[in-house]
Amino acid sequence: MFFLSEIEHTLRLPPYLLNRPLNEAIKGELDSTFLDKVIEKLGLCITVYDIQSIEGGFIFPGDGASTYTVMFRLVMFRPYEGEIISARLQESTKDGLRLSLGFFDDIYVPVPLLASPVHSEPDPRLKDSVTWIWEYDGQNYPIDGADEIRFRVHNVSYPPIPLEQEEEASDKKAVKPFAPMVITGSLDGDGLGPVSWWV
Amino acid sequence: MKILDSKAGALTNFEVLDLLRSRGAGTDPTRVIASVSPSEFKVFDYLENSAACNQTREIIQKFVDACKKFDLAKAEILNIINTRPSSGVEVYQIIEDCDIRMEEDTIHELVETINQILPSHQLTNETADENNEIEETAEENNEMTS
Repeated sequence: MFFLSEIEHTLRLPPYLLNRPLNEAIKGELDSTFLDKVIEKLGLCITVYDIQSIEGGFIFPGDGASTYTVMFRLVMFRPYEGEIISARLQESTKDGLRLSLGFFDDIYVPVPLLASPVHSEPDPRLKDSVTWIWEYDGQNYPIDGADEIRFRVHNVSYPPIPLEQEEEASDKKAVKPFAPMVITGSLDGDGLGPVSWWV
Repeated sequence: MKILDSKAGALTNFEVLDLLRSRGAGTDPTRVIASVSPSEFKVFDYLENSAACNQTREIIQKFVDACKKFDLAKAEILNIINTRPSSGVEVYQIIEDCDIRMEEDTIHELVETINQILPSHQLTNETADENNEIEETAEENNEMTS
């Protein structure tokens, strides 16, 4: 799930940080630049692992800030295809399930990748919400939010940043915020799905 | 920004949890003081609730050594350490081409190794504690009556 990535970055240190010790100031700047951000192909940055070298400290003409070339390692969250992960159910709609890890919410399980055979029942409590029920051996097993759901990573995609915001004035639903990293999961297989089905 | 090495090393969930703990992340009361950002705390919460919360370096090293005879890929060992499967069905998902590479006995042996070396996770922990309590009180009752 987590990998280390080595990055070299040219960091501009604004003058108001000059009274702080260099390491602290650089770590603070790295945190605000990279933490909780998605880097394409590398995944979601969780935390800075360590700083390997700091070079430079040049001040460019016309600029009050000093620029450093920093080499450091980041802990990235990047699941690989075929990995088994436990997550919680966040919402269940007619398109499938949406799971969440707490720090990462964009995990979708579309209907074709749910355990088969499966049928859905509209949930009386929430509008637009649907409960998915798996049929096996004559018994019905609903997928509810009670316990952790194990899924296999089917695909990790990084959709390109949209240039224009879509105007959906006719639709009453709010436009979903852009998700830079989307994980598609699959529940089709023995041992996958809510943990209570297999314990 | 230049990416020098995108795969400088794989980390188990335990190692990330250890890293966050060493930065000062703890459960509830210490939240305000620690130099850990809210997003790092969310990761910490997730990891504390997963199988990684009871592991130590020695346990992981022991498990990796015990797995050498099963001829598993590094990614599969990592996945097992992270999710701690407790039955053959769950192990079957993790290992690629499981039915071709391993027979039933080997799978059973692997599940036994997992159950012995890796500490169990919360759900199974609670039932294990309850079972222990029931056994202890039964023993006490027996002692009192005899």
